[in-house]
Amino acid sequence: MTKLNSRNLPLAGIRVLELSEIWAGPYCGCLLGDMGAEVIKIESIQRIARGPLNSPEGAAQYPDGHPGAEPWNRFAIFNATNRNKKGLTLDLKTPKGRDAFKKLAAESDIILCNYARTVMENFQLSYEEIYEVNPKIIYMLMPGYGTTGPYKDYRSMGMAVDAISGHTFQRGYPKLQQSSNSVVHHPDAVAAINGTFALTTALIQRENTGEGQLIDLSQSESFMTHMGNMYLEEQMNESGIKRKGNRSTEYAPQGVYKCLGNDKWISISILNDLQWSKLAKLIDSNLMNNEKYNTKTKRLTSHDELDIIITAWTSKLDNYNAMNQLQTIGIPAGAVLNCGPDTYDDPHLNERDFFQIVEDSTAGIYPMSGPVIRFQNSSTEIIHNPAPSLGEHNEYILKNVLNYSDADIKELEKLEIIGKTPLKGSDMGGSRRLESKD
Amino acid sequence: MPYNILNKYTVLDLSNRLSGSFCAKLLGQYGCRVIKVEPPEGDPERIQNTPMFLHLNTGKESLTLNLTDPNGKKILKKLMNSVDIVIETFKPDYMKSIGLSYDDLLELNPSLIMASITPFGQSGPNKDFDYTELTIFSMSGGMHREGLPDNHPIRYAAEASQHYAGNTAAAAITSALFKKITTNQGDWIDISIQECFAGHPHQIALRAPFIYSGVSDERMNPRFMLNNGSEPYAVGTFKCKDGFVSFLPLGARMWPLVAQMIGRKNLVTDSRFDTPQKRFDNRHELESIFQKWLDTKTRSEIFTITQEVGLPGAPVLKIKEVLEDEQFKYREFFITLKDESHGKLKYAGDPFKFVGREFQNLTNSPKLSADTKEILSTELSMSESDIEKLKASNTI
Repeated sequence: MTKLNSRNLPLAGIRVLELSEIWAGPYCGCLLGDMGAEVIKIESIQRIARGPLNSPEGAAQYPDGHPGAEPWNRFAIFNATNRNKKGLTLDLKTPKGRDAFKKLAAESDIILCNYARTVMENFQLSYEEIYEVNPKIIYMLMPGYGTTGPYKDYRSMGMAVDAISGHTFQRGYPKLQQSSNSVVHHPDAVAAINGTFALTTALIQRENTGEGQLIDLSQSESFMTHMGNMYLEEQMNESGIKRKGNRSTEYAPQGVYKCLGNDKWISISILNDLQWSKLAKLIDSNLMNNEKYNTKTKRLTSHDELDIIITAWTSKLDNYNAMNQLQTIGIPAGAVLNCGPDTYDDPHLNERDFFQIVEDSTAGIYPMSGPVIRFQNSSTEIIHNPAPSLGEHNEYILKNVLNYSDADIKELEKLEIIGKTPLKGSDMGGSRRLESKD
Repeated sequence: MPYNILNKYTVLDLSNRLSGSFCAKLLGQYGCRVIKVEPPEGDPERIQNTPMFLHLNTGKESLTLNLTDPNGKKILKKLMNSVDIVIETFKPDYMKSIGLSYDDLLELNPSLIMASITPFGQSGPNKDFDYTELTIFSMSGGMHREGLPDNHPIRYAAEASQHYAGNTAAAAITSALFKKITTNQGDWIDISIQECFAGHPHQIALRAPFIYSGVSDERMNPRFMLNNGSEPYAVGTFKCKDGFVSFLPLGARMWPLVAQMIGRKNLVTDSRFDTPQKRFDNRHELESIFQKWLDTKTRSEIFTITQEVGLPGAPVLKIKEVLEDEQFKYREFFITLKDESHGKLKYAGDPFKFVGREFQNLTNSPKLSADTKEILSTELSMSESDIEKLKASNTI
């Protein structure tokens, strides 16, 4: 296992308790861990979000398609989105589990919670209750619509946030109805980034004033800040904002064009007349002199025709080849890369060491996608530790942070307050979770 | 700036692209003083008076400065004593070529934080590539799966990757600022927009099955998704009586809730639909039952019912409806600002709230060079006549 060496990273010495599932909270935890914080992910053997307990052999989510004896420690999505954390299980519905949590909270800087607004309240672990044991705590809740207002208890996922923000209505193919739109989860990612921004801002405030902070992050509002120009365009433009697809209303042509090979594409943006003449020259020297296309306005009008002309050229080319030809003459163009294999094999990402070899004791050794924030002056190597297995650091944390004895730990194991093996029906959709209705 | 938490810190915003400008704006929203440095003729977005310009530049001061002019450089260097953070979006090596690299600036301010946000980062074969939102989005892994299998890949409507990278840079800067306060060390942050988006949870999550078992990530019809036991007949966006609604029932546990929502509890025990596989195999039949119910209900009725049964679902709002939505009104998310040329406009507000610390004081985007005189005389003690000379030589 890669040894954690976070001394020079900005958040070295900061302890974070993460209570979260899926992407918004977990990815926020990753970013804090990437930047040197000690992130303790708190799960339970009563409820896991590490894939199904009974996946069939051959399921793509597992190394070589083998779920193995501990599928919950081999699940691709979980392992990819929980790097640089420690794993602790605690049943927070029990007094002893809550007691351990409170003791841990007293020794921590940040609590990051991605559950519905009332979950922590129901555990009697609300901000007010934690404040009593640690008045300097920075405590963040990040529900879909925030912790106040008429929708404060509404359930949401990234898709719901995308819908209510106005983004779903604006995206998709302009000629097709929005019901053909893909499922997106982008608002989760934006909430994770904003969560990191919020928590580190609160650390600065605490350093300057000695005070902790309750943070109310609405995933909707967090995402909507990325659409500020669209809300203004709607108000400033009498006919309102239009669906644009891959095109622009400012310049032309712009689009995604078919290349040689199966489902291979390239994106091309022509920002001005000079770029157009350069592209036209590459395609066919007669095209360069064609007055039908020599201004932006004319190109916007005849966009469909131009798309056919450009496709005739790109479809004979490999997308990397076309991209390099166009970039060499200063035209913004990019191969449309899928996640795997394309970005995984991308020479540029690989040259920048975007992937690191990660040794996971249960899942195996694989190069995995790594941290995105590069501190150049930290004289620190990128840290990339594998996602923790369920309860991996129970003993370590309970002994080293809370000074529990071996007997205390045995007792907690016996009571199923901690553990390393999920209970039957604890997976998403499992009977235990159906009964608890959460 | 709606909060004053970071009011001890000054940002010099040299950016000429969205990501850097958005990053600086975000830092301003939480209290930083942000000085936007523009060439004497102004930011290109300003010249075109775009909604983007207004969106990106609220709360900033404007200083005009010609960075290629020796006197302009001198002024920028002198300002290093008064700033904590520099944000720039030039091509890699440009700052170095004009004698303003991080190392050059560090000599003047030994705890300086600088963030360089570029499409592909400071190194690697593509570092000098040109880009638009489409270029960078297409190369991130996020676009290839968007859209239908028999159609071309399609981008998000928002300038998603550039905002996302700018937001990431803001988080990196506040982390570095925390370190600076505790250790007095600065840092240079290299942000690649491509990496931010290629490292986005959706991308790393869908890349992982490829890494583990070789299964590639492809465009598919939203209703055909069976991974994680999603309920395929009810995933995605659907037409209803007065528009569209989106659903994402997570896992088989939500199937009874869907049946309850559409008033067809009997379907739960129906032998055509009683396992996830059967619901997948018979999804067209199920979707048509689902669609018949949707056709009779409005978005707002459906929104209420989803919450009564406990399903994540929401109405697809038009942009103008978002501006009027009761939740965002209640939380005062949009901030109304008035200016001479546009009248009243509603601006997107803060991405998160620091409970109990609200400090409403957002200002309009600055007029070109509005603060040049003030900054030069206050920060650099320059005389009126010196400033006039710089103006005459088009340095400011």
